[in-house]
Amino acid sequence: MLNNNEYLNKLYQSDQPLIIYKTNNGFDVYTDFSKKYLINRDNIKNFLNIQTKRKQSKINSLNCYVGFFGYKVLCENIGIKMPKQKTNNFYEGIFYKPSTKINIRKNISIKSVKKNYRQIKTNKKNYSILNKKFDLNLSLKKYSKLFDDFSKNIKQGKTYQIKIAQTYSKKGKVNAVELFWKLMKMNESPESFLIRDKNYSIISCSPETLILKKKNLISTKPIAGTLRKTKKMNINRALSFFRKNEKETKEHNMIVDMERNDISKICKTGSVKIDKLKKVEEYRDLFHYVSTIKGEIKKNTTNHEIISSLMPGGSVIGCPKISTIQLLNSKEKNDRNIYTGSFGVIHTNGDMRFNIMIRTLLNFKNIINLSVASGVILGSTAKKEYNENYIKAKSLLELFH
Amino acid sequence: MIYLIDHEDSFTYNLAHLLDSIEPTFVSNYYDIDLKKLEQSSTIVLSPGPGEPKDYPKTSKIYKKYKGKKKILGICLGFQQIVYSEGAKIVQQKNILHGYQSYITVNNKSIFKNNSEFLAGRYHSLKMAEPFVSKSMYITMRCKKTNVAMAVEDDINQVYGFQFHPDSFLTPNGKNLIKKIISR
Repeated sequence: MLNNNEYLNKLYQSDQPLIIYKTNNGFDVYTDFSKKYLINRDNIKNFLNIQTKRKQSKINSLNCYVGFFGYKVLCENIGIKMPKQKTNNFYEGIFYKPSTKINIRKNISIKSVKKNYRQIKTNKKNYSILNKKFDLNLSLKKYSKLFDDFSKNIKQGKTYQIKIAQTYSKKGKVNAVELFWKLMKMNESPESFLIRDKNYSIISCSPETLILKKKNLISTKPIAGTLRKTKKMNINRALSFFRKNEKETKEHNMIVDMERNDISKICKTGSVKIDKLKKVEEYRDLFHYVSTIKGEIKKNTTNHEIISSLMPGGSVIGCPKISTIQLLNSKEKNDRNIYTGSFGVIHTNGDMRFNIMIRTLLNFKNIINLSVASGVILGSTAKKEYNENYIKAKSLLELFH
Repeated sequence: MIYLIDHEDSFTYNLAHLLDSIEPTFVSNYYDIDLKKLEQSSTIVLSPGPGEPKDYPKTSKIYKKYKGKKKILGICLGFQQIVYSEGAKIVQQKNILHGYQSYITVNNKSIFKNNSEFLAGRYHSLKMAEPFVSKSMYITMRCKKTNVAMAVEDDINQVYGFQFHPDSFLTPNGKNLIKKIISR
């Protein structure tokens, strides 16, 4: 019989659907999915409040659903009508029920309700990436026009801050597991994950936690503020840069107040606190400016109410949320697809963890897609924000070098 | 009971928690106002929000109906709605301030301490145009640096408005400001 390592390697080399999610001290691998639940605006509430509460396994860590909500279904869930945009008709959201979970820590441990889970068939697969270069849907010229349009809207008070998304794409089919571990060597981020299914894969080095819910406690960790890493820059210098920089400070303040608001919707009066204010986190190519806000959830609050209060995550849209989404919808010609949706885990006991899907590659129908966004805020320039977008995409684009 | 009208803003619930810690507060969306509950409330609070006063005609009607009968408090857009209903023009300001912290000074027309100053968080592209003339409503606070109007008070009719955000974490003294008005 295969030992744990051999089994895991065989699993990676197979085409069996699997999910890998970064945890504090390692990675969780989920596989042998007994159910696959396709999400749409009509069933999202039922899925969150009924379906995910059904206990089915004696093994507690398998009593969960793992998957994602795309941007569109999250907008429709809070009552926003979505316009017709260019789309590749990817799923609006999918959640999987695992029968096997592998914990990769110092050692590998495995829990499964399947007797013969170690028997895996491996097939020969075809991977191909033809051209090296990605196409970008917005040129600097087009981006600048959008930037100017939105600046006008800010002056009129219609939005306070708005994030323009750009999409890189090219043809190809990737070896998702191999690419994911390569990415983890380069840029392991706290909310990294991989989904590999038969007809698509998603590879992410997301840094942003949107929801961490345990029992009746919830926290969110918005990121607002990005600084390019240079040889001279270290974490202390980055902190002093952010503190002195008015634009970054204003942008961050706004997101902190907005996330306080979103979490207050479902929390007890007086329980919402800023846990950590304006800390710097270091990544491969950049520094981020980060805060943590926490609160105590009101009695009888459903998971659907929690998801509706916090998603889609505010830091990647702008502020105020609803009018800004409507403005974005009127100008963004491509749909955001999975970008700025959320990936995560829901346990039958109600505990949840969700990220925001940024720094995330989607490989579907032989196309590799990657979106990034940065904020229009008065005092910034189109060129600077356009370049900031490139820095955010860099570690993922370089996977293909 | 306080009735808070939400103009679909992303800061309304910060204000709701602040108010609710003083007196039970009911929040509803601007598009979904419960007229019965509104009638039962002792104080009406007009939330911040995107756009300008003329985008929200229902709020202007409510203000005119209840002015002098109930206590009314407006924050940011809500402040602008109050002065707009009192005949002031709302104009774009030179420096657009979102997520900005500045010093506010209080004058002798205020229920708050004359000449005192405090830090406040601001989110606004627009401001009220001056001169502003009214029988019983006074500008009572200004930005220390730019002199832009930051508060109006009509203590006879119990109408109060703040252009800055007492609900923001950038306004450390925000709760005391609101408390004084609600308990007045």
